[in-house]
Amino acid sequence: MGGGAMPEGGGGRRKRKALDAVINVVPAIDLLSCCIAFLLFTAVWTQISRLQAQQFGTAAEQAAEQQKSLTVTLVVGARGFVLQTSAGGAWEIPPLGRSGDGQATYDVKGLAERLKALRADYPDQAAVTVAAEDQVLYQDLVKTIDTCVGAGLTAVSVTAAG
Amino acid sequence: MPIVQPGKRPARRFQKSRVFGGKLSHGRRAVNAELNVVPMVDMMTMLVIFLLQQFSATGEVLYMQKDIKLPDAQHGQAIEVAPVIAVNGDSVVVTGHKVADVRELEADQFLSIQPLEERLRDEKKRWDFIHQNDPDREKNWKGDVNIQADIKVPFRILKRVMFSAAQAGYYNVNFATLETSGSAPAPARAPVPK
Repeated sequence: MGGGAMPEGGGGRRKRKALDAVINVVPAIDLLSCCIAFLLFTAVWTQISRLQAQQFGTAAEQAAEQQKSLTVTLVVGARGFVLQTSAGGAWEIPPLGRSGDGQATYDVKGLAERLKALRADYPDQAAVTVAAEDQVLYQDLVKTIDTCVGAGLTAVSVTAAG
Repeated sequence: MPIVQPGKRPARRFQKSRVFGGKLSHGRRAVNAELNVVPMVDMMTMLVIFLLQQFSATGEVLYMQKDIKLPDAQHGQAIEVAPVIAVNGDSVVVTGHKVADVRELEADQFLSIQPLEERLRDEKKRWDFIHQNDPDREKNWKGDVNIQADIKVPFRILKRVMFSAAQAGYYNVNFATLETSGSAPAPARAPVPK
């Protein structure tokens, strides 16, 4: 372990110093123990992230609106997803079904494909307005925003539908 | 330092002596035991590397709460320090203080939640006071607020929370999510001119 080998040959009677060196690892263990204690104490185990959205109608959102080449509105509600553009395009992505408590199961994959196609047609488009109906749950809203961001529409505004 | 059995033993200068050292040993084997600490150092190094990878300099901005289950998201960004509005099935809480009851909100017809708005205005006043010497204070104000809601909270509650936040000057909403593994970070959002 880390020791140097004695050179062969020339075996005289003279006593030679051993080349093996003992490294004192106690300070290293002390340092590592302190590091582990500190890092365990300050560790963050749950990775919480954020999805940024602006409120429709605020000053910053209106400034972003002026930069838009196209207005894209995504309505989330009982009909599923309804995607509309100011260029006249309209696509409806119906829900896959209903869960036990009557909540709609949204077709997120279908929405992702539709948004990717839209982004391919308008590569500079980064803004989308998500209009949610009252009964839409937080998890569905987050999934919708996440899908929009994943498709490249990063400037998301949120408003109430209707 | 080696571990030695207590009892009579020769002085260090006699330890290797065949005359004195041998008398005291009485033919017994040496009880000195040297511990091999190399595997322990290896393990500790691995632990330190793992914990350093997990380390977050921003600390814990949002704390997981028993009554709030967060949804998963793949394209979230790192959370930033901002006032936290926690919404569960029963109450609306701002930075640890309950400001509204969800049942009362369901019955109420007004869009704004007054106690929430007042609380956030206080937060904004505090921010203004801290940055009172900053000449670019208005420009640096981002209006960020973190909303940490349970997955089952309907949008009719959220829109009221968002409206109240906007009334208090917090128009930039960050929805808290749980980061799913293997996700690519979201691209940075283009700055919006004011």
